[in-house]
Amino acid sequence: MNLLLASTQYGSWTPPLYSDHGGSIDKLVDVIHVFMFVIFIPWAIFFGYCLLNFRARPGHKASYLPIKAKVSKYAEVAVAVFEAFLLLGMSMPVWAEYKNNPPASDQRLDIRVVSQQFQWNFHYAGPDGKFGPTNIKLVSASNPIGLVEDDAAAADDIVRVNECHLPVDKPIYMRLTSMDVIHSFDFPTMRVKQDAIPGMEIPIWFRVDKSATTDAIRPQMKMTVPMAKAEWYKIRHHVAAVDHKVKDEVVLAKGADLGVDLKKGNELLDQLRKKGLAELTLEPRNPLEIVCAQLCGNSHFKMKAQVMTHTEDEFKKWVAESSKKQKLETDF
Amino acid sequence: MSGHHDHSHGHGDHGHDLPFWRKYIFSVDHKVIGCQYTFTALLFLFFGFTLMMIMRWQLAYPGQPIPFIGKYLSDDIAADGVLVGDGYNAFGAMHGTIMVFLAIVPLGVGGFGNYILPLQIGAPDMAFPKLNMASYWVYFCGGVTMIASFFIKGGAAASGWTSYPPLSVFASSGQTMWLWGMVLLITSSLLGSVNFIVTTVQMRVKGLSFFRLPFFVWAQLVTSFLLLLAFPPLEAAGVLQLMDRLAGTSFFMPSGLVYATEPQNQLAGGGSPLLWQHLFWFLAHPEVYVLILPAMGIVSEIIATNTRKPLWGYKSLVYSAIFLGFMSFIVWAHHMFMTGMGTTLSTFFQATTMIISVPSVIILTCLILSLYGASIRFNVPMLFALAFLPMFAIGGLTGLPLGLTASDIHLHDTYYVIGHFHYVVAPGTIFAIFAGIYYWFPKVTGRKMSEFLGKLHFWPSFLFINAVFMPMFFQGMAGLLRRQYDQTEQLHGAVAHGLTKMSSYGAWLLAIAQLPFIINFFYSMFAGKKVGANPWESTTLEWAAPSPPPHGNFDKTPVVYCGPYEYSVPGKSKDYCPQHVAQEA
Repeated sequence: MNLLLASTQYGSWTPPLYSDHGGSIDKLVDVIHVFMFVIFIPWAIFFGYCLLNFRARPGHKASYLPIKAKVSKYAEVAVAVFEAFLLLGMSMPVWAEYKNNPPASDQRLDIRVVSQQFQWNFHYAGPDGKFGPTNIKLVSASNPIGLVEDDAAAADDIVRVNECHLPVDKPIYMRLTSMDVIHSFDFPTMRVKQDAIPGMEIPIWFRVDKSATTDAIRPQMKMTVPMAKAEWYKIRHHVAAVDHKVKDEVVLAKGADLGVDLKKGNELLDQLRKKGLAELTLEPRNPLEIVCAQLCGNSHFKMKAQVMTHTEDEFKKWVAESSKKQKLETDF
Repeated sequence: MSGHHDHSHGHGDHGHDLPFWRKYIFSVDHKVIGCQYTFTALLFLFFGFTLMMIMRWQLAYPGQPIPFIGKYLSDDIAADGVLVGDGYNAFGAMHGTIMVFLAIVPLGVGGFGNYILPLQIGAPDMAFPKLNMASYWVYFCGGVTMIASFFIKGGAAASGWTSYPPLSVFASSGQTMWLWGMVLLITSSLLGSVNFIVTTVQMRVKGLSFFRLPFFVWAQLVTSFLLLLAFPPLEAAGVLQLMDRLAGTSFFMPSGLVYATEPQNQLAGGGSPLLWQHLFWFLAHPEVYVLILPAMGIVSEIIATNTRKPLWGYKSLVYSAIFLGFMSFIVWAHHMFMTGMGTTLSTFFQATTMIISVPSVIILTCLILSLYGASIRFNVPMLFALAFLPMFAIGGLTGLPLGLTASDIHLHDTYYVIGHFHYVVAPGTIFAIFAGIYYWFPKVTGRKMSEFLGKLHFWPSFLFINAVFMPMFFQGMAGLLRRQYDQTEQLHGAVAHGLTKMSSYGAWLLAIAQLPFIINFFYSMFAGKKVGANPWESTTLEWAAPSPPPHGNFDKTPVVYCGPYEYSVPGKSKDYCPQHVAQEA
């Protein structure tokens, strides 16, 4: 079991968690799984006992009368009671918290998320706090959400494709929609998942943990892989976390990529093996991803956004710089 | 044992005079139709599995050419031998569709139901034999339509077996074929279900009251009601989606769509993509029980026979099956927790979802308590039936975190879901189907399948099927999403890649483990050990008919004197009392 878990190398069970509401989701997941084992193991022992003890053999006869088993009734009632507890005590309160209490509008950061095949478009209001209007007739490759750029409210708006910037420790309020087909906004490290459906605008909210800036997370997700087990598919999103040296020669510099495709990646790994490198110390190139959880076409698997989490000050700086740039290059 | 029978009999006076094509092709005999269903569905089962084995290559070795068969696939599916995204999605959608609608349901209902149900109630045939024949041929046409869609331009449907619009409405013409195919398959199921209900209610022999019916018949009866009541909404929805695709309507298409940067000039717009999901899952959740109930019926028969004692809690089993059937109509939106559902609706649906687990637990409990005090014969059908129990238990238990909204946030659309429902349907239902084939093969052919080859089939299958599906729970926990052409494209998918490979090797080894079954099946048909009418010393009525039963089934219409599972009755010389044999007081 440990072997199986370890081979995911990404937390040992659920992915690392960086949002404040996610803890209660993980707790429910854990409690349910403990409960499953509490049911299944005695059940399996009884099953095994019956198979062994009541096997057909010379001199053994089946009994016509059923066993008078009160235990089964108690077990069934216990299961029902525990399910009621999971439902009323855990799932419903967590879901109500997740759905019913949006952060106050003056305390949160609003972001519009407009999904399309096969990208996530993030629309920020900019320093003025007002979203510019959009028009589907203006949609083009360079204006993916059809922002009416002449409008005063749109002047300082920021639109980013597959790139999401978030402040830590501040309620984030996203309004999700889609332009074409159904997508699903999946942010596994925040335990956030919500379908983005054309014709509907669905709000979600969450808060990134105070200490969870991208720069702080990256080294936490460091892992070492013995060269013998290094497989490009598993480490393709990682970079070298340290300078890798063989006899004082740097064979893989800190921050170096492990090859953009299978062929180049395998060549690089072969070279490193030949040079006698024993193990790789790696960290994710970008530890936070938003992906699409609903089949949306032939490149569904590629639909993902990189997330950069910043401190409040850094985030303000990013907004100021990005909205300025927007003004300079009106054609974006 | 009444092993030898004279083949002249009362009912089948025209049975021997028919030309070949009326007797074996366009037959109205429920047994021939049952065999037709079984053969066709087994072929589809194999085909659906093959699609998955190819997909599992792409998952284990993304972007590398498929060995052996890659070069024979068209460029729409695999360019230079490498499966492409559209090809992967088409295979995925068709794997689901074929396995559910063309393989498992036709095996459980069309195959076993057709062959066994009339025999178990002592009937000479189904109530409407011609309707029965029509049902098979409409199913056959639906299957041909589905297969043909692989060969048209753009390939087969690629929007998942769920075919959510707007994706499915924008999709290439394979989707239109899929919809026509579904309309045919649903029509076939409707014809079949009406027939099953009328036959069970009207054609039971004298003495066979409802509470003397074998549990298999009850399971089929409940299943038929599910098919009858749940399928029409999807048939309607399928026609509406066809109209959206062909007639420019917008039942499921909202206003303001922009597809590939082009605003869509819809005449009206204003449709709802969620309407499709409601209509689809209103069918597809009862469908889950259409997949599992016949399996429970098969397993119950085999367990009763091979424990040599009555099933524990027969009435609990029956009431649970009925309750299960009823509840299955009001849980459907638990597939839709991520569509923006608020607390009121989700409270209802997660509550009903927890409630529906209770009858499932009762059924499983009854079956396992039936083992206590038994004298268990470990023959091949029994091995498969026994394996069903823990596999179904795992499948059922892992449904809990998916049925609760809060834990579903993390697990929705991940491999956890795939692991969950495959445990129910693959080592669950498919194992039950194998159990049923080994169990009733002597009835159908008059010959027994080889025990040795059967065990050579069972043990590796049991091992490898767990190697396929057990890793999926851990992958799902890590957040790996389903329907990903290249799972390593995402960070959490890349780190779980070792488990992906384990699943793939499991699937290929599982395929090899089916060879003993295929050999056994054909070898035993012609050269298996000949047996009499009742080789397992069983009690239910199908064993009162000769093996194989002639047209019209019974030499003499049986009369039923007792309940279905009178095994090891104290004071009797034999350890079984067949239903049709009058017992001395």
